[in-house]
Formats: sequence, structure tokens, C-alpha cells
Amino acid sequence: MSRTMPHTVRVFLAAARRDILITTRYADFVVSMLVWPVLMPSLTVFAAKALAGPDGSGLSAFAERTGTTDYVGFVFAGMVLWMWLNMVLWSVGGELRAEQRRGTLESNWMTPAPRLAMLLGSGLNQMIVSIVPVIASLAVCSIAWGVRFAVTPLVGLVFLVSTMAMFGMALAFASLVLFLKELNAAVFFLRGVFMVFCGLTSPLSVLPPWMRTVSKALPLTYSIDLVRRLGLAGASYADVSRDFWILTAFAAGLLIAGCLAFLFVDRAVKRSGTLGQY
Amino acid sequence: MSVANAIEVDDLRRTFTRRAPGALNRMFSRRRAAASSNDNEAGCNNGGKRPAALVAVDGITFDIRVGEIFGLLGPNGAGKTTTIKMLCTLLEPTSGTARVAGFDIVREPARVRASLGTVLSGERSLYWKLTGRENLEYFAALYDVEPSTASTRIRELLDRFELTDKANELVERYSTGMRQRLSIARALLANPPVLLLDEPTAGLDPQSARNLREVVRKLKDEGHTILLTTHYMAEADELSDRIAIIDHGKVIALDTPAVLKQHIQQMHSVEVETDREPDGILDELRSLPLVRGVECIQSGNGFETWTIRVLTEDSRQTLDTLLDLLRAGGERVLNLRVAEPTLEDVFIALTGKSLRD
Repeated sequence: MSRTMPHTVRVFLAAARRDILITTRYADFVVSMLVWPVLMPSLTVFAAKALAGPDGSGLSAFAERTGTTDYVGFVFAGMVLWMWLNMVLWSVGGELRAEQRRGTLESNWMTPAPRLAMLLGSGLNQMIVSIVPVIASLAVCSIAWGVRFAVTPLVGLVFLVSTMAMFGMALAFASLVLFLKELNAAVFFLRGVFMVFCGLTSPLSVLPPWMRTVSKALPLTYSIDLVRRLGLAGASYADVSRDFWILTAFAAGLLIAGCLAFLFVDRAVKRSGTLGQY
Repeated sequence: MSVANAIEVDDLRRTFTRRAPGALNRMFSRRRAAASSNDNEAGCNNGGKRPAALVAVDGITFDIRVGEIFGLLGPNGAGKTTTIKMLCTLLEPTSGTARVAGFDIVREPARVRASLGTVLSGERSLYWKLTGRENLEYFAALYDVEPSTASTRIRELLDRFELTDKANELVERYSTGMRQRLSIARALLANPPVLLLDEPTAGLDPQSARNLREVVRKLKDEGHTILLTTHYMAEADELSDRIAIIDHGKVIALDTPAVLKQHIQQMHSVEVETDREPDGILDELRSLPLVRGVECIQSGNGFETWTIRVLTEDSRQTLDTLLDLLRAGGERVLNLRVAEPTLEDVFIALTGKSLRD
């Protein structure tokens, strides 16, 4: 029987290497990956500058609600995390969809390799790919806008836990891909929900009460808030521990739910015979 | 499992549920689905309101002995690929059982996959943006080839399939024949005892197809058991130790090529090549008492000619009638041949139609 831990690790790494090689062979994708994260947040930053007025008098109202006058850092943190979420959320499902379109999905699934390891290997590539725009954004933030963002181990940990939460959702999406094939509408819907409810460019306090209630049920709300407080406002672990553990609980729950959903659908498509269909 | 059998298939059946179109589809559709006349369909088709079922594989039973090449022959939609997909565990059977190398395809799918090398039809099963070597390295990890032996195994396979010179080129630059050879190399990475080859020579030029048939023969000599599906009668005849002819999901004949041909030895195949498509005479030919099958195919020789093949128990009488009908229709006869029956004729005699129908 082939399903040993070394085999699982080899499959995970092989899938990651495969996708990294393929990604690097599409030069235009690499360019867009670097340019887009720089341009997109700039739009909101310019809008915020205009709203602050020529003398920046609007900043006091902003500081009153957010606890910081650094609106550029505030907006960048929200936008960068949201863009990174978009990439991770669609990463596993997108890879599965690409495999279906290429015709390679069945040749992978005919092997004795654990399928979850293949998918998570693809996800590792996506993580690496997603980190590049985050770093690019941080660099722009620092060089062009003078934002001083504290990259502490705790910020890194929040980033990692947030990634796990997103992977849980990404696995659930991947499961739906096997059933429904096209999921663009659902992904766009979810992106919209996150955009409005998670405080991307504005503090949560400006939202109506019912929207704030919804936002508390979304892991990205905690990710964005934690990164802003730790990286911009200089908060300590004690200040954020409650929200950090809520985010961790989200991550564990979503990962388990995502894996279970995938294992269930894996069996279901073998019964329905829809694996190779696209 | 009996030691003598590499694959055992018992009353295997696979039904697909076809869902009715959604309300929007129905609203904008000009025509409702016409009631199906296909006798292979089960359930009911009532204008798209309820699901109907399609029986793709209908209770097939066969054993494949260790070390033999077993041909699964049938037209498109006969159930060949569905059978292969069930055997390689991509699809669960609706009922029945099958064992590969002694492992049950439903209860022990991982063990089945570890015992199999499968090449599905079509050439998109490789990563075109990876090199040939990178493809093999990736699949070696999936097939659990030990890292210490993987590179040696890959080198051997590249060498064997004459791909060493192109090993570091992207697969998108490979010819169809090279991709097919790489697919077989991939299936052999873990040196599995059983190989499933689904239409391995489809789309290849004659020379590449001949080379690939030679590869299949050598794999048998090395002790591999091979299940081969093909459209090509001559290929099945040349390679297979035994052949199962499958049509509408059922095995309608199973024996060695020689025995299958013996069944219709008293018959002859009359072939006439004409300068244009014969119009309306095929039904008349089919109605003749001693005619067992008729097919008409456009010649693949680059000219606009058609070949009518008639399987008959009385070639002289059939030939007279055929020529009369062609003359009456104004067709010009370019070539005429009376031949011994082939495996293709066996298929026509059994099903009343050609593999291309």
C-alpha cells in the first residue's frame, strides 16, 4: 500500500514544484502579479487623500474612528490582504479547474497518490506566488508613501493562520468545482462580501450595526484588523490575543470542513462519473 | 483472485443519470428533448421533466489472464472507455464487481491504482508546459517510485522510448507520437503488472502506430498483462490474444481472433470502390437474403471515392446485384475485390453495422 507519510510528502512537494515550474513559464502572469498589487491600492489611497482635504483636516475624523492617522498604511493593509485572499481563495479550485480543462486531472487521479496532498501542493505554489505581491505592496508602501510597517513574528503568525483559514475555504470551493465546474459567480460574490463587510478601506465602526454583526462572522475581518493593529498601531500580543484565537479557531474549523467537503465530493464524483467533464 | 487472472470482471454495469435541463434552459430552448429512440436507454424521457438513465456498460463479464493482450473492440459509445475508467477506479460501477491484480476496484482503489499503468485516449494527459523529464519526475512521485531509483528509471524509460534527446524540451513541442510514447513511459514508471491502454494508436501516423504496436508486443513479452481498447480491427487482430467485441455496453462475442473469424468463414467480403457516394442502394443490399452486413465508407486516399463492403454468403449473386444497382444509379466502379473475411467482417456480422457507424 502506497499511502505512507513519505509518499504523501513527496506528492505534496512534487505538486508544488510542478506548479511553480508552470507558473514561471508564463512570463506575463509574473509581470501582472507584481504590477497589479501596486496599482490597485493606489486608487483608494488617492481617493482618501482627496477626502482628507488639501490641508489634511479630514484626518482627525479618520484618526478618531481608527486610532491612527496613517490612512495610507490602513488602506494598503486592507487592500493587500483582500487581494491575497482573492488569490488564495481561488487557488486550489482554480488549479483543479485548470487540470480539468487541460485534461490532466484524470491522469493525476489514476495514480495511487493521495489527492489532498496534490491539492495542498498546488496550494503551496499559490502561497509562494501570493507572497510576491504582498512583498511588492509593502515595498511600495514604504518607498512611495513612507509607511512604516512593523513586520514582527506575530504579524507573520497572523498571516500564516489567515492563510490556513483561506485554504479551508479554498478546499470547499475546490470541492464545488468538481461538482459544478464553473464557480466564477460564487467567487465574485464572496469577494464582494469580503470587500464590503471586512473593513477593507474603512473602519468597521462606520458600518451599520447589522453589517458589523456579519463582519464578525468573517475570518478576513480579524486578519485585517490584527495586521493593522500589530503592524501599524504597535499593539502587543496581550492587546490582540482574543481576536487572534478567534481567527485560529476559524482556521482550524474551516480547514477541517474544507478537507471533509473535499473527501466527500471525491467519492461523489466517482459515483456520478463527472470527474473529467468540463 | 485466481492466480491465472490479472483482471476479473463480473456482471459489471454502469448507468449514468442524465439530468433534465433547468427551467431557464427549457424556457429558451426551441425544442424540447425528443423522446429517445435508443433502446440502450433506461428510465423515461418525458420532455426533460424527469431524469433519464443511460446504460453505458450493461452487465459485462470477462477475465484477462496474466500475460495476455486482451482487446476490447467496439464503436464509439460502446462502453470501452467507461469500462477502462471503472477498472482504473476513476468511476464506480453501478453494480457488479471487478478485481485488478486481485484487488477490488471499489473496496481497494489505492491498491488497484498502484497495480495499474493507464494510458487514456487523447494526448492532453501530460503537462505541456513541463519538459518530458519533468513530467516523468512528477508522475514518479505520484506513483511512489523511490527517489533513489526514480532518476535511473526515468533515464531507462526515456532511452527505451527514444526520447532522451528531447527529454529537456517542453512537451508542447513534441509530436503526437512522442507524446503518446511519453504517456506509455509514464504508465510504466512503477513497472505495474497490468496496463490499460485506451486507443493508444489513435491519431498517430502509420509509422508511429506501427512502432507503438511493436512496443505493446514487447511489453507483453516482458510479462505485462495488457487490456487494449481500439477502433482498429487490424490492430486488434494483430496484437490481441483474445478479443471481446462490445456494443451498446454488452459483450457480444469473446474469443481468439482466429476463432471469431472461423464463425463466418463460409462468408466473403465483397468490396467495390465507386466514384461517388452511392445513393439509396445500401438498404436494398441489406435486404438481400444472403447478405449479413453492409457498410459504406469514404476512402481515405485523398480522392473523392467511396468503398462499399458487403459481407455475404454468396459473393457471386451479391456481386451481380451490387453491380446492377450501381449501374442503375449511374455510379462508376473503380475497383472490385472479393476477399476472405476479416475481424471487421466479424463485427459487421455480429452487429449489422461498421465500427465507424
